[in-house]
Amino acid sequence: MSPPSRVGIVVVSHSAPLAHAAVALATEMVAEDPPAIVVAAGTADGGTGTDATAVAAAIEEADEGSGVVALLDLGSAIMSAEMALEFLTGDIEVRLVPAPFVEGLVAAAVRAAAGAGIDEVAREAADALAPKLSQLGERGDHRDGATQEAPVESDADARATAVIVNVAGLHARPAAAIAATVGRLGADVRIGAGGRWADAASPTSLAILAAAPGTTVEIVGRGPSAQDGVDAVVALVESGFGEEIAAEESGEQKGFTPDTGGEARSAAAAPLSAPLGVSAGRVVGPVRQAAAPAQEPPARMVPEAERTAQAERIAPACAHVAQLLRETAARVDGERAAVLEATAAIALDRAVREGAESRCREGSTAERAIWQAAGEIAVALREAGGVIAERATDVLDVRDRVIAVLEGRELEAARTVDPHVLVAVDLAPADTVELDPSTCLALVTERGAPTSHTAIIARELGIPAVVGASGATTIPDGTEVMVDGGTGEFVIEPDRAQRATVRERIVPEPLEAAGATADGAAVALLANIAGAHEAREAASWGAEGVGLLRTELAFLGRADEPSVEQQTREYGEVLAAFPQKRVVIRTLDAGSDKPVPYLPLAAEPNPALGVRGFRTATVHPDLLARQLDAIVAAITGGDAQTWVMAPMITTPDEAAEFASLARAAGIGQVGVMIETPAAAVMAGQVAAEVDFMSIGTNDLAQYVMAADRQSTDLAHLTDPWQPAVLAMIAEVGRAGEAAGIPVGVCGEAASMPDLAPVLVGLGISSLSMAPRALGPVAASLAAASLETCREAARAVVGARSSSQARADAAQRLGA
Amino acid sequence: MADQLTLDIAKDWLARFGTAVQEHKAHLTELDSAIGDADHGSNMARGMTAVNDAVAGSAPAALDEMFKSVGMTLVSSVGGASGPLYGTFFLRFGVAAGETDSIDAAGLLATLQAGLGGITDRGKAEAGDKTMVDAMAPALDAFAASLADGGGLADAARAAATAAAEGRDATAPLVARKGRASYLGERSVGHVDPGAASTAMLFEALAASVT
Repeated sequence: MSPPSRVGIVVVSHSAPLAHAAVALATEMVAEDPPAIVVAAGTADGGTGTDATAVAAAIEEADEGSGVVALLDLGSAIMSAEMALEFLTGDIEVRLVPAPFVEGLVAAAVRAAAGAGIDEVAREAADALAPKLSQLGERGDHRDGATQEAPVESDADARATAVIVNVAGLHARPAAAIAATVGRLGADVRIGAGGRWADAASPTSLAILAAAPGTTVEIVGRGPSAQDGVDAVVALVESGFGEEIAAEESGEQKGFTPDTGGEARSAAAAPLSAPLGVSAGRVVGPVRQAAAPAQEPPARMVPEAERTAQAERIAPACAHVAQLLRETAARVDGERAAVLEATAAIALDRAVREGAESRCREGSTAERAIWQAAGEIAVALREAGGVIAERATDVLDVRDRVIAVLEGRELEAARTVDPHVLVAVDLAPADTVELDPSTCLALVTERGAPTSHTAIIARELGIPAVVGASGATTIPDGTEVMVDGGTGEFVIEPDRAQRATVRERIVPEPLEAAGATADGAAVALLANIAGAHEAREAASWGAEGVGLLRTELAFLGRADEPSVEQQTREYGEVLAAFPQKRVVIRTLDAGSDKPVPYLPLAAEPNPALGVRGFRTATVHPDLLARQLDAIVAAITGGDAQTWVMAPMITTPDEAAEFASLARAAGIGQVGVMIETPAAAVMAGQVAAEVDFMSIGTNDLAQYVMAADRQSTDLAHLTDPWQPAVLAMIAEVGRAGEAAGIPVGVCGEAASMPDLAPVLVGLGISSLSMAPRALGPVAASLAAASLETCREAARAVVGARSSSQARADAAQRLGA
Repeated sequence: MADQLTLDIAKDWLARFGTAVQEHKAHLTELDSAIGDADHGSNMARGMTAVNDAVAGSAPAALDEMFKSVGMTLVSSVGGASGPLYGTFFLRFGVAAGETDSIDAAGLLATLQAGLGGITDRGKAEAGDKTMVDAMAPALDAFAASLADGGGLADAARAAATAAAEGRDATAPLVARKGRASYLGERSVGHVDPGAASTAMLFEALAASVT
């Protein structure tokens, strides 16, 4: 049966004024289209009391055919309502809900308005105390969508306690790290804090614990892997989740906004009463409102026979969203990639998936089930407050993406080419990741905080941003606004005097001259880009060329291979941005680690060590052949100096094989990336096969140090200042000099101003980086002579640790 | 001395009960103000006035018809918890009495027990929870014991009234575990339960009516 009507609500109270006030409060939440809410309160003569006959009449009035949920205050209200059930003559389904009166009524009204079924309305009302319990830190036996019951003492096979030591506490990323670790071990582990318990395999469940620094958490494991799981969690917690080191992860960001990190943390807990600047810069521009978030899917009672099928739609949709997010993560660097990886983890979170699946089994559609399951978790996160609350946006973003997949839509961030100030309620990670700094002048959000993604990514991209600007989303598109991300000023239609102050905007200086050391040794300063748009932006920043064109953008996130014509057009546009300059094109770097649908590969337990990069060419040689054809066609139409290199080369034979393929296709300058220790050690023989080499320091560090580059906990190992990594670079530099071919660096290391002179001293002749890093890197190089660079290089290779390497280099370079 | 509860005696019982709660309205309210919401006297007085008006204005032909009307009138006029409790008592009483114009002592015991069952179903109270059950349960035990000893209706009703009064007084040292008074916890000790007090009046009225 799928009745078109909605669940009615009856409010039973001793006091008519209390009931009517509560109804008014609840109706505010559903003003558009409130459900039937009927009050049975007070005695007939206006006194305090309840009347079972009046309750029965109210139930009959409220019923539209889908049943009635009754909210009761206390004492006789409960008895009168129970008695009323005996008076009902018709066949009305009624739930008397043991819910907090006001909270339960609000929850029931919202759910009933949205067309939820009677059981769901009743359950939502009954659970409505959970947020308050969570907020006030009440110890109790409440349960919400994610928290677990306390484990039974005798069930524990392993048990330990640990104290949270990192500044931000058990927030989303540490939670994801714990969940990943526990999941890998296959351990059944629960973590308790403040009387609440969470499934350690569920990041959102953990986040709701809101464990602050200094909190002692209990860790309880069951089953065969219990001890391993508990030990691993204790180690993670006690290590502070590597957060101290994580602050040094992005040298690029640090160089430009050295102060915001610390301030942001201390300000995070303060409520936003006024707009707050979170990323410096002062601009004027027209407003463009971001696309509205997804609409709530309509309620529909699914027949029992189809419920399992609905439940089975959830997991693949979540997995697909996670994959899309990871593909996007693979195209971007640093913090932006980490944010997307964390969001992908939410899409795979057990709490979200299982919450939705259980709703499906109760008759919800998959779309609506995910809407509600994720919504519930988002509410719990918001109620937890502080840093945790900011992650609610991530959960809702995942929700919208999963619904889009379920509905067969692709969720695309709207792009505009005209300069604008982007205004939104809050920006999801993917929105901010896809932002284009060349057209987006500033970000203004109604919600958000100094540590929200909006703020983090705005700082990384150098876009001024203001959060907490109430009412900003009501400003019509095109309205001129002035935004100051330093002071938090947000002025609608600024006057001439205010506009005049915009010149104070501080931005990194574009590169004015070719890169060189103090004594004039040339170092080509190039840009890392992923498409034509970024090429034009890089040119405007004064890049001397492109040191790394990632061609994945044309390939990933689509169902079929782009045609040679499409590829040719894409590459041609990049080349056109750099006439007569060097553009290094890297062939497709896809594979197990970055899967594409039309490049079928067997699933591998360890994609980073699997069929990836150039290794895919042995399985699918045609794909590389067509890409080389497209590159040659693009070169033919332009006048850039086009170099082509292959990713993930391991042996001299592979280098030779690629070189012969590329030269046969008609490419003049052929090179390879040095990302594996094998290639670095064999650099002399690799160099003999090619015209240039380019070191990908991110992967090289990962493989040299045997440390996953995605792991926050191992960030200290994948630091490019590690002497072992620098020794590998030195090896390649020497080999390049001996063979007389240029060696560049196109990893994160190249964008670090303090490391750049060291790399030059190690024999590197070009550095390729995000365009904003060009100016600071150029300034750093201009301050040191080539001989000083070499002295610094000799010092770091002999260092014992990354910190000693830094100190030694700083001493030699006089910094 | 009656040996049957007839329609007329039942009317007299209700009238006496009404008079008693009216007379002791202030006392009941005072008891309730100590551990409740200070409305038991006025609620019961209002309810029984409505009951007696209804009974006076109709000519019920059978006990079930009469007591179902009493129950419904209490439910919709008392307001507080005693509305559904006394309402349920009289509704079940009427159903148990059946479509008859009189019942004997054994029949009355059965109807009273049905009424008490209604109260415990509704309020979920048990003996010792400091509620009207603490007056009514011993009253019915005494009523049954008197009949077993060969007593008549009047003897049994008197024994019940005495036991109800003792049960009422015995609520004073108890800790309330039901109703609004339960929020007071230990602070409810030392006060007689107002529901037990009005229940004692109900049995005193019954004893007076059948004597």
